Amino acid sequence: METMETMELTPDLFEPLDSAEKNSEFIAAEPRTYLSDAWHRFRKNKLALCGLVFLVIMVILAIVVPMVSPYTYDGMDYSSVNLLPCLEHPMGTDKFGRDILVRVMYGARISLMIGFSSALICLVIGVVYGGFSGYIGGKTDMILMRIVDILYAIPNLLLVILIMLVFGSNVTSIMIGICLTSWIGMARMVRAQVMSLKEQEFALAAYVLGASKSRILFKHLVINCMGSIIVNVTLLVPSAIFTEAFLSFVGIGISAPAASWGTLANEARSLIESSNPIQIIWPILAICLTMLSLNFIGDGVSDAFDPKKK
Amino acid sequence: MEETPILKVEGLKTYFPVGGGLFGKKQVVKAVNDVSFEVMEHETFGLVGESGCGKSTLGRTLVKIYEPTEGKIEFMGKDITKLSGSEMQDFRRNVQMIFQDPYASLNPRMTVGEIIREPMEIHNIGTPKERDEKVASLLETVGLKPDHVRRYPHEFSGGQRQRISIARTLALDPKFIVCDEPISALDVSIQAQIINLLERIQRERGISYLFIAHDLGAVKHISNRIGAMYLGSLVEIGSSDDLYHHPLHPYTQALLASIPIPDPKRMRERKKEEINGEIPSPLDIPSGCPFRTRCPYATERCAQEKPQLRQVGNSKVACHLYDK
Repeated sequence: METMETMELTPDLFEPLDSAEKNSEFIAAEPRTYLSDAWHRFRKNKLALCGLVFLVIMVILAIVVPMVSPYTYDGMDYSSVNLLPCLEHPMGTDKFGRDILVRVMYGARISLMIGFSSALICLVIGVVYGGFSGYIGGKTDMILMRIVDILYAIPNLLLVILIMLVFGSNVTSIMIGICLTSWIGMARMVRAQVMSLKEQEFALAAYVLGASKSRILFKHLVINCMGSIIVNVTLLVPSAIFTEAFLSFVGIGISAPAASWGTLANEARSLIESSNPIQIIWPILAICLTMLSLNFIGDGVSDAFDPKKK
Repeated sequence: MEETPILKVEGLKTYFPVGGGLFGKKQVVKAVNDVSFEVMEHETFGLVGESGCGKSTLGRTLVKIYEPTEGKIEFMGKDITKLSGSEMQDFRRNVQMIFQDPYASLNPRMTVGEIIREPMEIHNIGTPKERDEKVASLLETVGLKPDHVRRYPHEFSGGQRQRISIARTLALDPKFIVCDEPISALDVSIQAQIINLLERIQRERGISYLFIAHDLGAVKHISNRIGAMYLGSLVEIGSSDDLYHHPLHPYTQALLASIPIPDPKRMRERKKEEINGEIPSPLDIPSGCPFRTRCPYATERCAQEKPQLRQVGNSKVACHLYDK
């Protein structure tokens, strides 16, 4: 202690910082956005990556195969009925002589389209409805949420069947039927998140800066629930595909000669005890593999956006 | 120093209804209960008090996050409790706020550049190029590097984030900033840096501050005048020297006695001016003087009559002890 009091401070006691110390606060890593961070984590999950690759191949095949194949999905050929897989027909033909490969791929178009577009519609409706309800709060929120509760109380299947009866059996009415109730989960999730986020200081800061309500809602609140929203969407897609396949299988979905995977499975069902029982394998295989890969992707995405959950 | 008031608050009350619902009894939290004070131009007005005494609510009412229940807030001669849409946007440009938690006050999905540019986008100030230049100059003002614009908030430390948040407030060139405990979430060494930064900005731009804190040392350092708040009411207002060296109100005396002295000997010798008990619930404020339940000098009169702020020497104090 005594030495400290008597110590003289002279200039030669000081030396300039070397550059390493000077730049000690320099951040060397490239700035990474939230999405690229998530993609980084997603890539590490091999199963999810396989699912994604399979899904991409499926989409490409669904687009390309019906275009380049010499057969069409509704072109009948009574000279080659119920063929087993062969060179001209890799998956054989059905009872009207239609090429099954083309029909399965054509079905993939319809199934995937229904899956992705209804998920997209649910995304838009759910985020806007839930975000609005959560942000405004109070009585508005109460009324909006009771409407949702009432919708949720009606059995989903009943609603879909009713809509099919009114609008006919086509892709649009199936999509309306699926979307009518599927957005509810999304809306509730977004509402809950927005309600907790709107009290955060960054939302208050935006308010004090004079930002409009819609700006705060979409630029500050919704963007911060993006992780959960994306996870929710990846789960909506397989459930929509499954609902469609189920409806078509029980005969109230897409009507002939158009085909989805469910319709194809339904048509092949009657041949299961005939000379060509493997026809049913193809659509079921397509459904199973697609569902599996979508679920793997969903798992991977939810881990990628929420690393703490693991 | 003391010229025209930039902000004048009269009889301000902010109440929050709680409970209610279907069966519950409706109750009211009186977070800010009849507060009047003035902030002069270029002045820093400090606000101290225990947690839960309504300091933050008062600050948030002043920037209109909360609607006042009653009373008048005059900013540059205009009553801001009733403003039209465009007048409101004007008010927003002039009055800004710095928040307590630098980890929560920046949107984690926006880059630093986007965060500082946002106020100018909202108020349609300048061309995109001018905005970029302003962002760069603001970053320099607060002591960050211009190449930080592409970074995200999570890449910065608490002190750096508070600097970003200060840069965002300055983007609109406000005349008055409410600093809601801007340093209490930071390390002590960083606190001094932020205080110095705020002081330099005030010198250069002539901004007035309302500085809310429970760190008495920091408040004394930065403020010209200080108000002590207890349970929603201002109990004493005085210049920072008067309030520190000659506190009048028993609560202010007790508050000052609670400051730790970095010397155990002197700490032990210090006269103990203890106050007992907990701060009462703002749901059920004592009648008369709010401090009477814990005040060592409380008399019968304190329970019956709420003391008003009155001039005693150089300060204003709300206490019956100083009545003749």
